[in-house]
Amino acid sequence: MTSRWKEEGTFLLFILPWIVGFLVFFVGPAALSMIYSFADYNSVTPPQWIGFDNYRDLFKDQIYLKSFCNTLYFVFIAVPITVMFQILISVVLNVEIKGIRFFRTIYYLPYLVPPVATVIIWLLLFGTDGGFVNQLLEAVGIPKVDWFGSEGWSKPLIVTIGIWSSGGPVLIFLAALKGVPAQLYEAARIDGASRVRQFFTITLPMISPTILFSLVLQMIYYFQMFTESRLLNNGGPDYSSSTYMLNTYNTAFRDMKFGYAMAQSWILFVIILILTWIVMKTSNRWVYYESDKGGDA
Amino acid sequence: MTYRFKTPLQYVALLIGLFIFAGPLFWLLSTMLKTQEQTFRYPPEFLPHPLTLSAFGRLFESMPLMGRWIGNSFAIAGSVGLGTILFSSLIAFGFARTKARSRKFLFAIVLATLMIPAQVTLIPLYLLYRDIGWYDTWLPLIVPHVLGNPYFIFLFRQFFLTIPRELDEATYVDGGGYWTIYSRVILPLSSPILVSGFIFSFVFSWTDFFSPLIFIQSEKLQTLSVGLQMIMGQTSHDFPVLAAGSFLALLPIGVIYFFAQRYFIEGVVMTGIK
Repeated sequence: MTSRWKEEGTFLLFILPWIVGFLVFFVGPAALSMIYSFADYNSVTPPQWIGFDNYRDLFKDQIYLKSFCNTLYFVFIAVPITVMFQILISVVLNVEIKGIRFFRTIYYLPYLVPPVATVIIWLLLFGTDGGFVNQLLEAVGIPKVDWFGSEGWSKPLIVTIGIWSSGGPVLIFLAALKGVPAQLYEAARIDGASRVRQFFTITLPMISPTILFSLVLQMIYYFQMFTESRLLNNGGPDYSSSTYMLNTYNTAFRDMKFGYAMAQSWILFVIILILTWIVMKTSNRWVYYESDKGGDA
Repeated sequence: MTYRFKTPLQYVALLIGLFIFAGPLFWLLSTMLKTQEQTFRYPPEFLPHPLTLSAFGRLFESMPLMGRWIGNSFAIAGSVGLGTILFSSLIAFGFARTKARSRKFLFAIVLATLMIPAQVTLIPLYLLYRDIGWYDTWLPLIVPHVLGNPYFIFLFRQFFLTIPRELDEATYVDGGGYWTIYSRVILPLSSPILVSGFIFSFVFSWTDFFSPLIFIQSEKLQTLSVGLQMIMGQTSHDFPVLAAGSFLALLPIGVIYFFAQRYFIEGVVMTGIK
């Protein structure tokens, strides 16, 4: 009995930094934001308790709803496209030919570029005056496009940034592809299955845990999207590229409505929790886990 | 499984990818070496001639704090990196090696916090830091990350689990406790993952934009990321200057990447597989 408690004590001692950090920088602030989400609070004068008004106001707040819809666009349209692109690129990289390491190195690089630097690169490429794309267009006689100033282009441009910086997930997919047992493909070849057929009936099911992992990561990435949206055109034009986080940031630090902003944070938290839970719950219908099916996978 | 397309086709696919991924970076380098006038030439010049570094001169001239921001970013990211390998490895060791019963439950919490976006607590954290006098200091950018970042706890634990337990037992028989196992057995065998951990936490901190934007007010204390935003606000039409600033922000990471590539790959793959 005593040795068990000693073991617990030693364990807690080792993880003490985490416990302190978790309580002070997570539980405390989370509780605080829960409390303030029921208040009208400008961070200077004492909070006024207003019950559920903040949460009720959200449903009437056109800008909030628009930013929310934009984020849903990213999550439901951009995420599947991005993940498909990542799989495609990892398949392209999954060859053993001369110079392949060079290609892998370069493909991964954009993943490491700081978001602010990426936004600047996008300005150089898509800037209205002097941007690379517009200069090309003009050189062939097509009129310039105001990429950042157009409601139709502002969101897709942000998606292209996400796609360009896919290097990390691509590496994970690449590792997953290499983990697919070669004898499965040999058996399929003997049965006369085409390469495309092999991809859909062997490769995709075998890497489905990685697809799940990547889907969840990308969803969370887009729910948190802030820097790109703020720096490209500050969420504009007409809030067409405003994201959930950008709107929350503006609510707090521009409009000084901290209580209202924290209500938004809580909604976001619950949404992410539910989405992650749904993806995890439905995963056993479409994700193949080797350990479930016994040894001979 | 390797797809055996015909080799030329493979190279064509790889070159298209190369164009997508390296093209924008190449354009950045090219723009950085132009004069402002050259950026408006038709058709666009890929290899500017003459090459000039004048953009860097204009950058440091219009942004006198540039050198300072770079130094700040190094100091902050370096502290975060060091702190991460010190503390997260301790915490991960506790989860990987002790036999306490509360391990499972507490590790589930670690994993749960991994899923929760940091942004959710940023606004209350701002209020907290303001009240305890941390606002407009580097502490909010360093301390919370150092005190156990769930991502690195997870990464290190995964690695520690691959080290055979027989080594622990041998140390135990020789009279060593957990501390000896941690410092004499686990740490020396974990240098690759510790290097990965340092590099990743350095990069995360270096590229972070949101936290310094919210928690730092004085321009002198700012990091390069937020500094770049100020450059964007000030000289949005001087493309070579923008490119030069952007280049300086990605240069340190690029250098680390080219010298320590295998650590990057190890780190990414380690978290992804299981």
